[in-house]
Amino acid sequence: MKIDETLRKLEEITKRLEEEDLPLEEALHLFEEGITLAAKIKTELDQAKLKIQQVIQKAKDVFSLEDFDLQ
Amino acid sequence: MCEERIYTISELNRKARQILEGEIGSVWLKGEVSNLTRAMSGHLYFTLKDEGSQISAVRFKGRSAFLHSPTIEDGMEILAYGRLTIYEPRGRYQFVVSIIQPAGVGALQLAFERLKEKLGREGLFDKAHKKPVPAFPQRIGVVTSPTGAAIRDIGSVLKRRWPLAEVYLFASSVQGETAAEEIVTAIAQAEAFNQRETPLDLLIVGRGGGSLEDLASFNEERVARAIFDCEIPIVSAVGHEIDFTIADFVADLRAPTPSAAAELVTPDHFEVLTSLVAFLAKSQRNMRALLERRVQGLQTHLKGYIFRIPGRRVEMLAQGLDLRLAELLRLTGEAWKKRQRDATRLEDLLRLADPSLPLRRGYSLTFIPGEPTPLRNATSLSPGERIETRLLNGRILSQVEEVIES
Repeated sequence: MKIDETLRKLEEITKRLEEEDLPLEEALHLFEEGITLAAKIKTELDQAKLKIQQVIQKAKDVFSLEDFDLQ
Repeated sequence: MCEERIYTISELNRKARQILEGEIGSVWLKGEVSNLTRAMSGHLYFTLKDEGSQISAVRFKGRSAFLHSPTIEDGMEILAYGRLTIYEPRGRYQFVVSIIQPAGVGALQLAFERLKEKLGREGLFDKAHKKPVPAFPQRIGVVTSPTGAAIRDIGSVLKRRWPLAEVYLFASSVQGETAAEEIVTAIAQAEAFNQRETPLDLLIVGRGGGSLEDLASFNEERVARAIFDCEIPIVSAVGHEIDFTIADFVADLRAPTPSAAAELVTPDHFEVLTSLVAFLAKSQRNMRALLERRVQGLQTHLKGYIFRIPGRRVEMLAQGLDLRLAELLRLTGEAWKKRQRDATRLEDLLRLADPSLPLRRGYSLTFIPGEPTPLRNATSLSPGERIETRLLNGRILSQVEEVIES
């Protein structure tokens, strides 16, 4: 799932947890889901390392990628 | 007698001025500056000449002061915009200048204005054609020089701000005679790559700051058309502060520099983390409120029966939940393994608040078959409808005979 979709999903969950009649089972389920999603994003952000690659088009449908060093 | 009209000098000068202003008006003139004098008032008087002719010119102080204009001197070749008039008290024919540019740049400027007007008329700058730029881009294409400052600036901003991004560089020179062609080719490569290899969320096209001549390729028609035709949303990032390039007008989004482009198109990952914490805190409050409502509901329900949850129990439940939630908050960090253990503990606590408990006491739940939630009001039923009753063991299907409001 893309990060913006995950964030939207988290927002939805937060909103649903405000519903007065939400069955307990479902609330717990949603809550757990939210925590899991949040943890997933956090891990992704913590581990993210910017990657820059130079694209070289060799032929019409042939591309090669070379790591690009910023230094 | 002489029938012809005799003019006064004032009348003639006025009439000549009106004809001159009306017929010729404002024009661009190219010529060499000579006899330059600076009056005490700050006005500039000079002569503009070419090989065969000359005209006296004046540039009043303060006029069009907002326009960037170079200091002029004798012998300089300039392009001047102004209006032709006659200074009546002296009967002097003169050119009142409002814009002065060095002749070379002036030509570029004129070409710029003409192209801008042409493309504008064709609708290339219309808002309706602007593609939205995604808020959380993952794959960012960059068309610029691999040896220039732009890619380094973009890289260092993204590293700090949005390291989740993957950057794909499509190399092109960004100044000199071949630049426009190379930029067009690089955009085409990015499109091919986007279609056949890896979809790109957006494309930054630009270079660091430079003189007007350095930026000329971003004012070329084919570059403008390539940007307009590109299917990927394009952010222009040509480093210059005073003016816009044609590329800026036609791009889906304009940034003043490459670093600014990188800032503009990405969220700050610290802000995203902050919103995560806000989510967790809010969900925690909601869960707690929800659980308290359940426990209280259950207590009310059981009032009058032997089994009652003491008030202290409710507090304990709530407190237990708080502890658990505090831990859940930390889970987003490293205490991931604790999660399973805590979850079991919480389930034990919650089992006490389980709404199925009343079933053990002989209560039953009524449903419309297929509906997930039990019925609360008799009035939501009508005679003849089928209902399902759940007991601790087994279910009963029956038909409603009469609905009585309490």
